[in-house]
Amino acid sequence: MTAAAEPQLVPLNAIFAEDFVQILVPVMSNNTVAELGEAIAHHVEGRRVPKRDLPKVVFHDGKRLDPSITVAEAGIGPLDHIRVEYSDDSREI
Amino acid sequence: MTLLKREEWQHLVREVDWTLSYVDDEAVYPEWMSGTGKVPREAWAKWEEDYKVSYPEYVATQREKESSAYAVKAALQRSTAWENLSEGWKSSTKMHFGGVTLVESEAVLAELKMARFGLNGSWRNMAVFGALDEIRHAQITLFFGHEFVGKDPQYDWTQKMFHTNDWVAVSLRNLFDGMMVTSNVVDIAIQLPLTFETGFTNLQFVALSADALESGDVNFANMISSIQTDEARHAQQGGPTLEILVEHDPVRAQWVIDKAFWGSARAFAALTGPAMDYYTPVEHRKQSYREFMEEWIIDQFVRTIEDYGLKKPWFWDEFMKGLDTWHHALHMGLWYWRPTLWWKPTAAVSKDDRDWLREKYPNWEKVYGDKWDVIIDNVNRGDMELTLPETLPWLCSMCHLPCCVATLGYDNRWRVRDYPLKHNGVTYHFCTAGCRQIWWKDRDNLNHPTVIDRFLAGEIQPMDVGGILGYMGLTPDVMGDDPDYSWAADYKDRLIVPRVPVAGA
Repeated sequence: MTAAAEPQLVPLNAIFAEDFVQILVPVMSNNTVAELGEAIAHHVEGRRVPKRDLPKVVFHDGKRLDPSITVAEAGIGPLDHIRVEYSDDSREI
Repeated sequence: MTLLKREEWQHLVREVDWTLSYVDDEAVYPEWMSGTGKVPREAWAKWEEDYKVSYPEYVATQREKESSAYAVKAALQRSTAWENLSEGWKSSTKMHFGGVTLVESEAVLAELKMARFGLNGSWRNMAVFGALDEIRHAQITLFFGHEFVGKDPQYDWTQKMFHTNDWVAVSLRNLFDGMMVTSNVVDIAIQLPLTFETGFTNLQFVALSADALESGDVNFANMISSIQTDEARHAQQGGPTLEILVEHDPVRAQWVIDKAFWGSARAFAALTGPAMDYYTPVEHRKQSYREFMEEWIIDQFVRTIEDYGLKKPWFWDEFMKGLDTWHHALHMGLWYWRPTLWWKPTAAVSKDDRDWLREKYPNWEKVYGDKWDVIIDNVNRGDMELTLPETLPWLCSMCHLPCCVATLGYDNRWRVRDYPLKHNGVTYHFCTAGCRQIWWKDRDNLNHPTVIDRFLAGEIQPMDVGGILGYMGLTPDVMGDDPDYSWAADYKDRLIVPRVPVAGA
């Protein structure tokens, strides 16, 4: 059995909801998907996109990710594109 | 003794090609510089410019232009005209001085390359005049900008900007190095005189000159009008070159024009778009950026290429849609990342500004209004840290501008889409399908690393906002800020009766 890999820095290309620009957001491979969503929101929510009282959902390669798994478990690699949306069932992507 | 008539002697000074006997033609005009490609060498003998100029005529005309431009400048130097200009307009000129001066200098290299490696004596002759023109343009722009350095250190970037690693400098170097320096002379003639100068500089010089006069900046209008008068002459190197290239290799002709048009359109959206639709005070705007593009570039460009038997570029629909989005998003990006600029970008989203924007761009409010509203409320609350960046915008691997092009999806939502490409194990991101396609077709050509690439490679230290600004050469006395945030005052009442956010438009 091998030791768990050291957490790695994972720089990402990210877009938050209807924001006007993609941004650089670095996270660690052992961050959860929920933490990833918040890291991206930090740069946008209440800065350019109105804050909404709704959970956030994270999309990678067109798939909606389980918020409890880690970035590494989700198969997210450096330079990948991540989209975060507010959870709104009537407007599901 | 009577002088010979012009037409009796001009061929002697224009047609100076001779048959080489000591060296091969290929040694004098190597393919990698001269770029004849599929065009037979002898086909270039037909190259002929429309308006012929002799050296004495050139010198006499240029002397007159210079005297006139500098006389106006000298007269205005004693006035208080500059002090009375709006900060918004001054920013348009700072952007122009920093963004254009050294591009003029780079154009000297392009003209000199054509003057040496052009495949016809008349072409080389014309390019010598072009090189002299571009030297004048670099000098006059540098000199006019220099006057204001003592009044405002941001004007120092007239000379400095292109030598820094500011992201705008990297973007422009990437575009113009490809257009003017690394290309062979046939491609230069199609990209620079034909596409960029015949098309786009009209917008920058004619339209901005009109806005300058409206804004009371006679000096700036005088300078750029003086420059523009040279363009028509040396820009005619493009037509005869294209005519010959189309006849023998129309596929290459189409590709080179398409590529240069797209790159120019992206750069103009970043620089000229905000200058026209935001920095020029609303009461002084002659037409919108879109209207100017339609009148001065699109109609003329399409007519020109169709006259030569070429088609609209493959990206035409994407480009036309972008006239309603590209420069608005880039303006927002320039404003939000304002410490990275050498000018003072005014947001210009007062209620009057927004009425004008809505009239000119019916989708503006839907796509950009909600984001400006969040920014406005933060400004009015004094939460300025929320209006400043803590990370970098993602920069397109082709145009080096922020990836900020929103498009309307089938679900009726405006979203910035990703245009990725995996190549040799690296994922690249592009702002548009157009940039991705051009990068792919041109991937063996020069492509500078973006500031994002440099940051991730560890070239920028420390890896924070301060490190990034230092890497870009920004010092506290120069880095951009909104001149006064006065445009936010219209909305102060909203803090008492909060706006109901409607996200996800």
